[in-house]
Amino acid sequence: MNNEANEKPVLVIPCSGIGKVHGLISREATYLVTGELAPGRTETLCLALLVKGDAEAVAAVRDHACITIDGCPKACAEKNVEMAGGRAARAIQVAEAFKEHRGAKPGNATGLTDDGWAIAREVAAAVAGEASRLRGGEEVTR
Amino acid sequence: MSAETLKVGIISCSGEAIPEGTISRLATRRVLELLRPDATVTLCLPLFLAGNEAERNFAKTHPTITIDGCDKQCARWGTEKHSGPVSGALVVSDLLGTAATDCRRSSRGASQVDKEAIWAVAEQIAAEVDRVLADAAPPVGAGMGTSAAQCACSSPIPGGKLAVKGVTVSIPGLPLIFEQCVERSIPADAGGSAALLDVVKIYHCILPEEEAEYRSALLAAYQDFRRGKNQEK
Repeated sequence: MNNEANEKPVLVIPCSGIGKVHGLISREATYLVTGELAPGRTETLCLALLVKGDAEAVAAVRDHACITIDGCPKACAEKNVEMAGGRAARAIQVAEAFKEHRGAKPGNATGLTDDGWAIAREVAAAVAGEASRLRGGEEVTR
Repeated sequence: MSAETLKVGIISCSGEAIPEGTISRLATRRVLELLRPDATVTLCLPLFLAGNEAERNFAKTHPTITIDGCDKQCARWGTEKHSGPVSGALVVSDLLGTAATDCRRSSRGASQVDKEAIWAVAEQIAAEVDRVLADAAPPVGAGMGTSAAQCACSSPIPGGKLAVKGVTVSIPGLPLIFEQCVERSIPADAGGSAALLDVVKIYHCILPEEEAEYRSALLAAYQDFRRGKNQEK
């Protein structure tokens, strides 16, 4: 990652999975990062645009450092970034965050409970930290 | 289409970058959970690229409706390219126009404007589901089995029961319907019973001659629901 790339916002791309709460957490964590924790230093784009092969979206993931947030092991966000010719500098799995929250009731794919928001905030904080390190030129080992 | 395709597939765009994407996603969820729980299934759009053959065959095995946030129509494009022609395609920005201007991307702190936009789109999706099912005209009693590509989210939500003319009637998602009525400030008295009936009729078939009985039963159940909510506070 060169210096020019480091000046660009890091793209945070969630899977937004529609079937389970994990997908909603990935999405809301992204909004927490891009809207609150690291506005201006991070941005998001529509994963569906990558699925479509939109030229601007494809160019964006190739030209920017990317962090993907996936709800399940199918890792759709990470895989679609890679299929578009980009690379996820860090690929986060929401399910990993659940390991620290045994017994939590996070809500469902439509809405988050307080437990769900707490997990989303933890994921968001991790993403913001990684984005900061990426912009500083330190690429995180996956 | 096989008999297994009696359920309509709904594919929503992810639309992370725009509020219409969030509306698309949440309206789709509402149809799956509440409006047409027994008639719909879904699949994550990105799975068409990242998934396996069963997932890519989704639109070949289900009549499918795509819900897109904007006129780029990524869900429609992705579904048709990787899975097959769709039976219907809705675009939230066309449906809502400027009504989505003040909507938010995050569901956190959703305003009344957000909620009404989601309901409006959900009702349009439900109507499209009905149209597709009517067009498909599957044989009566054909299998309602699930597909290998179906998400776990498509399980029906628990309903509520009413006693109408001495008969117990189950209404899918009744607690959620009541929750919505509370949000819309529908009063739990005779003045609100007509609005209550109108809302429930969206989700449950009520014949004109049954309306009076349903109105009384719904009002009583709604009053119980409100009392329960107040006791929780």
